[in-house]
Amino acid sequence: MNESVITYNVFHHVAWGTTISVYFWLVGASAGSFVISSFGWVFGIKRYKPLALTASVTAIAMLLIVPILLIWDLGRPLRFLYLMLPGYWHATGPMSWGTALIFSYPIAMLIYTYFVVKNNPLWAKIVGIVSIVLALSTHWYTGVVMELNPGRFLNHTALAPLLFLTGAFISGIGLLILILWIQNMFVAIKNRIEWALIEEMAQYMMYGLVFDAFLLFLDFMQTLYGSHSEVMGHEIVLMGVFRFPYLWLEMVIGLIIPFFILVSPIKKFKAGIILAALLVAVGVYGMRVWWVMGGQYLQTFY
Amino acid sequence: MPDSHEKTRRSYGLQTAGTKGVAGTKRYAMIIDLRKCIGCRSCMVACKAEFGIPLGVWRTWVKEGDKGRYPNTKRIFMPRLCNHCDYPVCVRNCPTQATFKHKDGFVLQRYNRCIGCRTCMVACPYNARHLIPAKRTDGNLPTMVVDKCTFCIHRVKKGIVPSCVQACVGGARIFGDMNDPNSEVAKLASKETLTVLKPELGTSPSVSYIGGDWELMDEPHSYTNRSTGLKEEFNDFKRNHKGDAFGDIIEGGDSTMKQVGQNMNGFLHTIPHKAKNVFDAFVNFLFK
Amino acid sequence: MIDRRDFLKIGAATTATAACPAFIDAMELQLGGQDFHQIRTYHARQRKPYLCTMCSYFDGGFTYAEAGEVMKTEGNPDHIATRGKFCSKGLASFFGASDPDRILNPLKRVGERGAGKWKEITWEEAIKEVSEKVSVNLDDADSIYLNEGGFKDGGAIRFMHTIGSHSIIRSRLQGIGTAPKQMALKQMTGVNFILPDLEHTKYVLNFGANIMETALPLAQRLTDGIVNNRLKLVTFDVRMSNTAGRSDEWLPVFPGSDGIIALAMANVILQNGLANTDFISYWTNYSLEELTKDLAKFTPEMAEEASGVPAKTIVNIAIEFAKSKPAAVFSHNGLSWHKDGIDSEKACLLLAAITGNIDNEGGNCLPRQFNIAEPQPAPESTENATKTMHYSFPFEVKDGKRNVQVLFNHMSNPAYSAPAASLWREMLKDEKKIPYIVDFSPFMSETAELADIILPDVVDVERDNIASSPTALWPWMTMTIPNIEPLGKAQDVRMTMKKIVEAIDPTGDKGMKQYWAFSNTKQWVKDEIKATEGTDKKTYKRLKSKGVWPNYGKIDPADRKILDKKGNPVLAKYATYKEEGFATSSGKMEFDSLSWTKNPRHQDLKESEFVLTTFKVAYQTLSLTSNLKYISEMYHSNPLWLNGNVAKKLGIRDDSLVRVTSEVGFLVTKAFLTQGIHPQVVGISTSVGRSAYGRVAQADPHAHMPFAKKEQEDPDIDDNLWWRDAGTNPNDIIPLAIDPASGVQTWNDTVVTISPAEAGDKYGDIKVDNAKHFAIYKQSLT
Ligand SMILES: Nc1nc2c(c(=O)[nH]1)N[C@H]1C(S)=C(S)[C@@H](COP(=O)(O)OP(=O)(O)OC[C@H]3O[C@@H](n4cnc5c(=O)[nH]c(N)nc54)[C@H](O)[C@@H]3O)O[C@H]1N2
Ligand SMILES: Nc1nc2c(c(=O)[nH]1)N[C@H]1C(S)=C(S)[C@@H](COP(=O)(O)OP(=O)(O)OC[C@H]3O[C@@H](n4cnc5c(=O)[nH]c(N)nc54)[C@H](O)[C@@H]3O)O[C@H]1N2
Ligand code: SF4
Ligand code: SF4
Ligand code: SF4
Ligand code: SF4
Ligand code: SF4
Ligand SMILES: [Mo]
Repeated sequence: MNESVITYNVFHHVAWGTTISVYFWLVGASAGSFVISSFGWVFGIKRYKPLALTASVTAIAMLLIVPILLIWDLGRPLRFLYLMLPGYWHATGPMSWGTALIFSYPIAMLIYTYFVVKNNPLWAKIVGIVSIVLALSTHWYTGVVMELNPGRFLNHTALAPLLFLTGAFISGIGLLILILWIQNMFVAIKNRIEWALIEEMAQYMMYGLVFDAFLLFLDFMQTLYGSHSEVMGHEIVLMGVFRFPYLWLEMVIGLIIPFFILVSPIKKFKAGIILAALLVAVGVYGMRVWWVMGGQYLQTFY
Repeated sequence: MPDSHEKTRRSYGLQTAGTKGVAGTKRYAMIIDLRKCIGCRSCMVACKAEFGIPLGVWRTWVKEGDKGRYPNTKRIFMPRLCNHCDYPVCVRNCPTQATFKHKDGFVLQRYNRCIGCRTCMVACPYNARHLIPAKRTDGNLPTMVVDKCTFCIHRVKKGIVPSCVQACVGGARIFGDMNDPNSEVAKLASKETLTVLKPELGTSPSVSYIGGDWELMDEPHSYTNRSTGLKEEFNDFKRNHKGDAFGDIIEGGDSTMKQVGQNMNGFLHTIPHKAKNVFDAFVNFLFK
Repeated sequence: MIDRRDFLKIGAATTATAACPAFIDAMELQLGGQDFHQIRTYHARQRKPYLCTMCSYFDGGFTYAEAGEVMKTEGNPDHIATRGKFCSKGLASFFGASDPDRILNPLKRVGERGAGKWKEITWEEAIKEVSEKVSVNLDDADSIYLNEGGFKDGGAIRFMHTIGSHSIIRSRLQGIGTAPKQMALKQMTGVNFILPDLEHTKYVLNFGANIMETALPLAQRLTDGIVNNRLKLVTFDVRMSNTAGRSDEWLPVFPGSDGIIALAMANVILQNGLANTDFISYWTNYSLEELTKDLAKFTPEMAEEASGVPAKTIVNIAIEFAKSKPAAVFSHNGLSWHKDGIDSEKACLLLAAITGNIDNEGGNCLPRQFNIAEPQPAPESTENATKTMHYSFPFEVKDGKRNVQVLFNHMSNPAYSAPAASLWREMLKDEKKIPYIVDFSPFMSETAELADIILPDVVDVERDNIASSPTALWPWMTMTIPNIEPLGKAQDVRMTMKKIVEAIDPTGDKGMKQYWAFSNTKQWVKDEIKATEGTDKKTYKRLKSKGVWPNYGKIDPADRKILDKKGNPVLAKYATYKEEGFATSSGKMEFDSLSWTKNPRHQDLKESEFVLTTFKVAYQTLSLTSNLKYISEMYHSNPLWLNGNVAKKLGIRDDSLVRVTSEVGFLVTKAFLTQGIHPQVVGISTSVGRSAYGRVAQADPHAHMPFAKKEQEDPDIDDNLWWRDAGTNPNDIIPLAIDPASGVQTWNDTVVTISPAEAGDKYGDIKVDNAKHFAIYKQSLT
């Protein structure tokens, strides 16, 4: 028996749920893919040029789903228009910035893709730079929109945008590898993407994993040595109700296993890399789940 | 010394700055004297009746707990409501200015602006906000937008106290202008020790407590020390009262990821209904 | 920076909060007395006086209506007892009118009794049918029965007097409190209520009264006393009620031992020379010597043995109580609902008397009240000839001792709220034993379900009514003026009864019609006022505008004291008995033998045996509240309270299923393990666990209500009702146990066995054997 028990309280729903976590994942994967797409045209790494189109189409496709999720997630879907009306714009609301980004990023990306298709290196580069900034910002913002809530202890950390961006980078690559692998099965041999290139991307993904692990460790330290809410949040939420997405999905499936694949001889096998890419992409979704819903979880009983 | 106060007057974005202790301004506030609270929950019913609030959402509620070991036990109560923060995170984070800070200290909602994005709910550290469900008794009142305690501005401006204050049997809820030194709240504030919820967040709540108890004020403690019955009831709530955010996880039920999937499914099912509403709205707009 | 005005320009300002003009400056906020629409227009709502009859305190308030609908009920800030406060039940009471499961048409049963099939009939048909049933039995009027549960007498009782039937059963006694308390007080003081002056007292000894949950007008004075007066509150209770939990000291007692504690304390007070000897010798029938002698045998050690409260604590509290001036005692069902509860009541009042705390400031005050009289001319009362029947009625029916031809049921729900409720249901279902049942209920209660015909009454907010209750130091009167027309075809019982009488005695030859000459219920109320002592010509008008009469002054919102026109506090008159003496035959307080005995059934309880207590919670009344959505949302489940330390030994975990077995059967419910209950006691609250009444009460938004009207539907209930746990009713397993001295059910004496649920047990299962119920009754006769 506890010394004290809370015997009555009313209940609250989590304010943002699955939809938002899926949206975060999609935006992340989109930004990640787009970064790869820009390697060739913006950063001038020639060998990446062939996959630029696939990468940016993937990025656009991911992003096309986003408005559907976001708009229908609103209590009043039609009122999404208010977000863009000048009289309604609220400069201090992170969501306002996000709206601007979510609408401008796909447009920039479309224009960029147009120049890629038209094989116009100059404009592709110029618009590409703009797009890459927007891509990163769009995803940076998803971290920020969660971070700027001082009352949500698990989310209120300056690491949030970095964690989100790292996640975006690795899940974007993971997804792209899968798509390229599938694409290779259907296109003529001469149009196939070289496997070496994919291996190189996997290598970047591995660096991302290391950095991600480092960030997670920092976050872990903060909660461990943090306020009562942070400590308990870690204990009850992350290691409790959200243990699967946090510990298993993100850490084990999405981080440790692919890391070992990518540093071991298994990476020599095609299947190894494909598997690692799949695990990473899925694992990052685990992070989106605990980050969004877990962060709000404790407070539903406050 | 208005000058020195003037300097501390912060504001969060496009809104009236905090008015705490600023001469010439009002700051309506509530003090809840927990020595007088008898846990009768009259305040809860009064508030719900005042606004016709649907089942499953609350503007105010009374948390209850038992302390100690037999026979040295005690019961504790703590009424909760929006704190009408001087520095409200909810206002700062709202993308459409639907929620705003009134110059007399009220934090208010404009239903016709609210898009139901629930950013403010995520932002509020006190769970003081809720999304009004799609169906309610009086269909002419707003639905699917966010709502919260208004400090009964419609009554206060007519010269009467908020509904929950008027109903409070114990006389525990005391309401008035904290900046007016002759008001009852100001007098109490100078006499008694006041505590607020989560002071570390710097929201500067306008609701404060006399005799607050840590057991009820602490957030994770509220979670870890629930009675089993209450935990099960919360599960029941999540099962039957579908919020529109699709993020509820039932404890001890299906695996978390399976529930995440079910939630997504739930969300997809609402799209046709909402689409129809949007369509109807268009038709209304164009042809009526 | 954009200010609020700019906001208005930007958004179409049609919302709740956007359209606020500038504030009326520096105005002291009033407590209420007015009400405004909360959206857009802020227009004022129409106010009418209202008297809450959800419980017997009859608090005075207002209804506020708009567009033919009552939007709110609220306390009246000028009311000296209420001081603007209504409890949650009172605040929610207006919902009764718009309850989607309300009965709005006379209903006639089709098919078997209790099958749930009804046909709507017209009032003409209904009156014709009922009056014929009455007419044919008029020769033996005593075969026409009334089960009356109203807090105040109205049409149904008068009807019985009119037809000369003596067969009135009361499921609630008149006034506040229950039989033992009232009888004890009546015997000792000549009045049946004593009001502790909690605002002014320094010390309160509370025996088994849950003041903060069941006596709201007293509770607000208690909190004022706690903070303004630093009073000390000591509560004896078997479990930690809200009152016990907020007391300075909660002393858990073994059930039924309050009497011996009080006697031992009285003994200690006398032994220590702390008694008010003047009061004892002038104002009681006892001499100090005799009293000292008679009390000497009740030692604190004896009290410790019986109650478990350490003797030292008893001594300390007795001394503290006697030394605190003024001090008050209070008691209620916890103390009196036991075998020989009357003795305990007397012992409790003795404590007040020997310390001289009778009708003094801060002590126990004699009631100040108007005795609302019946409209004149009134038929001769048949009541005095009525033998108290109460809860034994269905047993006597089963036993063939009563010839029942017609049973009227008014404001009572014995099929749910009486002990051995299952036996009630068996009898109500038996058409041979009770051929015809008429219920006036506006709701489909467990009892109404078994009726042959339902003549729906109006609900509180639609009823002309007047009452007075001794809840303040000044007498007051409060009334209801309906703020809306009755919904559907609902009709006040008094009008229904009038029509039945007119049908029975169309010419007035039978001498019945003369008592029913009032034109409407408003006239009835005016006649009541006219007949009541102390009223004058202005009374009705004053009541109509102010809601309460007389007016003693304004209530200061800050400290809730009454102020006269000049702002000086209005002081109550005390020591009223000094003028004319007590209303007893000797003019003194009369104490007879002082005694206390332990209930033999409570001797040597086994480890798994417990005394079951049932109790009320702040937000529900027995049945009146159960279909009010805001009430049931807050309280709908009543798990078994069980001491956490004991539970371990029994192998019972928190929230797991348990069997509660009494002599007659068992129920299956969830366990609530708590540190707030005596280890030999278990508790189940009442008011929930419904098999009828409506979608809210049954926690089933999809339950089929054949009589529900489309216009009354509430989408909120259909869509948002979230709880599915509706609790369990303990009353089926509680056997009849009437205390011969008071004729009341000893609710708090039942012995039960607690065990973990067995295979196949489902939550909410109730299995009882009515034959066993009956056998217990039979045994009690010998
Ligand atoms: N909220 C609410 N208020 C009501 C009513 C209602 O239904 N709901 N009904 C009204 C009516 S009709 C009545 S009669 C009154 C009743 O008012 P109360 O008598 O105050 O209420 P009960 O819950 O019947 O019993 C009071 C307490 O007795 C305790 N008890 C049980 N056994 C013992 C014992 O042996 N010794 C002691 N010391 N305590 C014991 C119970 O734990 C319980 O807390 O309330 C009135 N007010
Ligand atoms: N286990 C347990 N049982 C108890 C108690 C307990 O503490 N524990 N308390 C006991 C006590 S103190 C009391 S007083 C009794 C009370 O028990 P009852 O006297 O039976 O009262 P209720 O159960 O409230 O039933 C009132 C009924 O009146 C009907 N009704 C409601 N409103 C109206 C109306 O406006 N007009 C008419 N004509 N009818 C209406 C409804 O059908 C409702 O069911 O219960 C007793 N039963
Ligand atoms: S309590 Fe929450 S909703 Fe209320 S003002 Fe503060 S942040 Fe906003
Ligand atoms: S839900 Fe409404 S009030 Fe809340 S942040 Fe979104 S638009 Fe603003
Ligand atoms: S101030 Fe008004 S809106 Fe706020 S909790 Fe009280 S009654 Fe409800
Ligand atoms: S109405 Fe007052 S006394 Fe009752 S629970 Fe609410 S705050 Fe406490
Ligand atoms: S205490 Fe509550 S139920 Fe009883 S009369 Fe007063 S308001 Fe009504
Ligand atoms: Mo009662």
